[in-house]
Amino acid sequence: MVTKTKGMGELFKEVINKDLCTLCGACIGDCPYTVFYRGKIRMLDLCTREEGHCYGYCPRTRTDLDAINNKLFGVPFTGAEIGTVKDVFMARSRDAKVRSGAQYGGTVTSLLLLALESDLINAAITTNTDEDKLPEASVARSAAGVMAGAGSNYMAYPVLEALNRMPKDSKEKLGIVVTPCQAIALAKMRLDPPTQRASLDNIRLSVGLFCTWALAYDRFYEFLKNNVDLPKVRKFDIPPPPANRFDVYIGKEVKSFPLDEVRKYRMPTCAYCLDMTAEFTDISVGSVEGIEGWNTVIVRTQHGADIIAEAKKKGKLEIKDLPAQSLAHLKEASLIKKARAVQEIVKKTGDKNDLMYIDISHDLKEKLLGHKVGAQGGH
Amino acid sequence: MQYIDIDAPGSNQLFIGNEAMARGALEAGIGWASAYPGTPSSEILGSLAEVAKKRGIYVEWSVNEKVAIEAGAAASYAGIRSLVAMKMNGLNVVIDFLSTIVLSGIGKKGLVLMVGDDPAAHSSSNETDSRPVSKWLDIPLVEPGDFQEAKDMIPYLYDISEEFGTICILRSVTRVAHARGNIRLGEIPKVVHKARFEQYFDPAAPMPTPIMCVPSSFRHMFQHMRLDKIREKFETSTYNKYVGPEKPDLLIVTSGSGWLYSQDAVNALKAENRIGILKLGTLWPLPEKLVKSCLSKADKVLFIEETDPFLEGVIMEFAAGFSPESKRNLFYGNHTRHLNSFGELTPDAVIKAITGVLDIPYAPRDADYMKKVEAVPQQYVMDRLLTFCPGCPHRASFWAIKNALAMDGRHGFVTGDIGCYSMALGPAGFFQTRTHQCMGAGAGLANGFGQLHRFGFDQPVVSVVGDSTFYHSIIPGLVNGVHNHSDFTLVILDNGATAMTGFQPHPGTELTAMGEPAAQISMENICRAIGARVEVCDPFDLKSTTRTMLSMIEQKEGARVAIMRRTCELVRQKKEEKPYKMKIDPEKCLGEDCGCNRLCTRVFRCPGLIWDPVAGKTKIDEVICNECGVCADICPEGAITREAVA
Amino acid sequence: MNKLAKDPINVVVAGVGGQGNVMVTLVLGNTLVHDGYFVTIGETYGASQRGGSVMSHLKISAEKQYSPLIPEGQADIVLGMEPVETLRVLKSYGNQNVVTVVNPRPIHAVDFTGSGAGYPDMRELLAQITGMSAKTYIVEATGEAQKLGNSMLANMILIGALIQTGLVTISREAIEKTIVDMFPKAVKENIAALSKGRELAAKQ
Repeated sequence: MVTKTKGMGELFKEVINKDLCTLCGACIGDCPYTVFYRGKIRMLDLCTREEGHCYGYCPRTRTDLDAINNKLFGVPFTGAEIGTVKDVFMARSRDAKVRSGAQYGGTVTSLLLLALESDLINAAITTNTDEDKLPEASVARSAAGVMAGAGSNYMAYPVLEALNRMPKDSKEKLGIVVTPCQAIALAKMRLDPPTQRASLDNIRLSVGLFCTWALAYDRFYEFLKNNVDLPKVRKFDIPPPPANRFDVYIGKEVKSFPLDEVRKYRMPTCAYCLDMTAEFTDISVGSVEGIEGWNTVIVRTQHGADIIAEAKKKGKLEIKDLPAQSLAHLKEASLIKKARAVQEIVKKTGDKNDLMYIDISHDLKEKLLGHKVGAQGGH
Repeated sequence: MQYIDIDAPGSNQLFIGNEAMARGALEAGIGWASAYPGTPSSEILGSLAEVAKKRGIYVEWSVNEKVAIEAGAAASYAGIRSLVAMKMNGLNVVIDFLSTIVLSGIGKKGLVLMVGDDPAAHSSSNETDSRPVSKWLDIPLVEPGDFQEAKDMIPYLYDISEEFGTICILRSVTRVAHARGNIRLGEIPKVVHKARFEQYFDPAAPMPTPIMCVPSSFRHMFQHMRLDKIREKFETSTYNKYVGPEKPDLLIVTSGSGWLYSQDAVNALKAENRIGILKLGTLWPLPEKLVKSCLSKADKVLFIEETDPFLEGVIMEFAAGFSPESKRNLFYGNHTRHLNSFGELTPDAVIKAITGVLDIPYAPRDADYMKKVEAVPQQYVMDRLLTFCPGCPHRASFWAIKNALAMDGRHGFVTGDIGCYSMALGPAGFFQTRTHQCMGAGAGLANGFGQLHRFGFDQPVVSVVGDSTFYHSIIPGLVNGVHNHSDFTLVILDNGATAMTGFQPHPGTELTAMGEPAAQISMENICRAIGARVEVCDPFDLKSTTRTMLSMIEQKEGARVAIMRRTCELVRQKKEEKPYKMKIDPEKCLGEDCGCNRLCTRVFRCPGLIWDPVAGKTKIDEVICNECGVCADICPEGAITREAVA
Repeated sequence: MNKLAKDPINVVVAGVGGQGNVMVTLVLGNTLVHDGYFVTIGETYGASQRGGSVMSHLKISAEKQYSPLIPEGQADIVLGMEPVETLRVLKSYGNQNVVTVVNPRPIHAVDFTGSGAGYPDMRELLAQITGMSAKTYIVEATGEAQKLGNSMLANMILIGALIQTGLVTISREAIEKTIVDMFPKAVKENIAALSKGRELAAKQ
């Protein structure tokens, strides 16, 4: 069950003031007491409710992964490296225009376009990049709007705020693109749906993005502003492997920064995250190690399988098997993220029995604590 | 409407003390009155202003007390009887001038300063007692014991002022200045005022010029000689009196409000045959002979006075110098803790002091009734905290300030000032104010905080002041801040009036005290001329005001000014109809549910919004709501709506 | 001017800032002074105008000027413009002989509202008031005033009820003269309200 026994005061005490906030946005948008401003969730006034959605939905408050997994996939949470999987393959958009604006293969954009086109959804909630290359939430209701949302800038942004702001009586069918932490918040919402908001059944498609860590909006933006001409930036990328560069495409130029320099601006909370592949979505999408211009795609639900089938049928995606070695690397990287998170948490709490927000079985805990994680690598 | 200059000598009227003093000033033939408003003194000038034109006198709300008294002194120098009024805080502002005018002397016509003290600080930020200033600065001081005296003492004081060439002070307290009682009116003389500044260089002239304080020691000595002469005069003043038996068990020495309270207490204790009361009206210089003769009547002496043990101190000091053969008294009062030197004097406090000295039983009500009193459940008599009026722009201003500071997140804070907006210390202004001292202090503090970045200080500082306060004492702080690159935001809550004290005009408003067109001084022009960045916003536009505040507190350095401009609701409603009709849709109201938790009634707390715990919804109190419309913008569900009234 | 049965008569007028507390004492005070009595009124001013509890002390004497404050437990009459404030005043100034005139119309306080407790139960509140008074007149002044077209007339209705109790000797002529002086534009309405108050109290 979702822990709904605490309120906003505790959310700030246990999560936000401890720099554990992931900026998922689950606690803002439908609450007059919290607001997102310049990279931080701020409390305008203290809500005295002893139980609040803000606390209950937060991905960094106690999270019963079994309950979530059961709710979404009908099976318990096993701790498998890349979560509950129906199918894994690599894909890219067949539309060159989509691919050109995309981070990797344009799969997410293609799927959203297809969903809009086939009336599976009426609107897509995504994180866009504004004129100044700052992230912003977008509710796209057209192909052009979806296209504008392509690409990543690696900065965390509370996109769930846009979901929370949907009018209570809205019947609009939604697609939503989320990071793993946002997917957890969304899953927690589904476990205990809010009664005073638009129905979560409106969400017809959730697409997760692979994520190793995100950059802190406020501090990283300062860094970018001081080092590149932001309005001219086309794209940000961390090319794999050995994933040691942060490339900024400015016009026709590429300016590279050592990843170590950029890593300083990581969200501290990402160190405690178990999930690399956005395990609690319909479909998860990321890069393919060693193969540029393609996406790794993990299908997790029937919903997900259906739209992939539709995409195949309509020729929207080019699909290939994922090389076994790539899959193995993905699983290892994902496992390392889990293991490192649990080990970092124990380092922080100083108590093997206190895993902060994570609620997992004893065996899984021991397995992750015992896994060798090596030096801090990856991106 | 009845004015204080009602032409009915000998008739009885019901006046508040301040009106009585103003009437007394008219009967004394004053030609000038200047003041800065402050409770409990404001009605002195306010009631004179209403009749000024008709009576041919000049009345001015001055920018602050110091200008008021200096301008008033000029009238005295030019041969016009002059009155200056202020509350005790104002006295502190004018101390420097007082300390020199006692040396330089006044003009040919009298100069009287009326100071209103506010014991218990009903409407003040302190409760200082003004009387010690008389001893400290060598200024004659009187204190009326009732309403009739409040009037009658004024002509008397002008005569003293002129006979001895010194400024005189009349001290009153809230329960004289603001209480109502019977006044028997006297005649208002017809005076033709003729002003001229005579420039005699002859030291023997009545008012030799230049007017100056040097040689100071000589003039200091001279003032002491004057006081000795005034003391002689005071010995026979009818404002000092003894009532009671020739040999009482207890002598009460009292003045001011203590006079009526002492009589009431003696009456309640039915102790008229045991207790005598020496009531002093002329306190300084102390009429020593009278005091000594009264002290000889009784062994036990109890001092009853409001706030400081002033008479207690000077009389015990005086008695300490008696010869060994003289009678020795047992003194009771504040030093024996029979009476407090803080808070308000009350008849109950006097009764308690008396029964603490004399063994007299006193039980105001029977035991059965006391049981009922104790049985009243506390929730039936819950406190009513003060709050901003429904529709008050300050509530909206502080909402925006609060949200901007919270969004900024650097633990910024407000240094406060004196006015209705002082209530921002509490829930009315969402507990935003962190400092609250005297007028101008918030801006001065902000100047200091704004320089501390060199020591690691990184919190935004916001000084919030009122419009009248801005002109009164903020401008030097802003000059200092801009000149020295201090990092703070000054917010001026411009509601177009000195609202706290009763809507007196100030240099930014249209009319003078006498209702004539004034030269309006633009606060934004002043601030811009000083070199500050200035933004003007409407606090009822919460979004844009919050944005403005954010841009102000995020500015990297320098003093900057946000003017939040909206007419005081109490002024607006006298001139205009209500702008909106407010409604609440109970279907949309979330009440205590997640996503609202009674934001409007629990946090915003406008008195026009009522929480109905049975329905679990908010309602509008249609009798109280002023239909300003602001709550519609804070309701997260859009349940509160405003409809423009055609 | 008549000698009073008790001298002085102590009246406490209780209400909430903005209700017209000062006006009520002024009407009574002016009338009594014109009749030759000594009247002293102690009022709370300033900050207390803004939603706070306000109270005026009115002392009436045929003999002398009294102080502006009534000692604890020494009220002869409580004129309550608001029920919670009436009970508050009875706690401090009531006694076994006190006569109370109360308007049962509540004014909600942001503190009742802010805490979520709401306004106390009216029936229990009035029972407390009645239990602490030798005689209680419950006068629906606000409701009656609204019927007369202006809720501010509630104050004059209460004054009418107070006069009807016979505890203060105010002649019809004297009070009507005060009304003419103080409310020249609304003489008829105020006199009607005054009569309504007398009528309501006479039934009790």
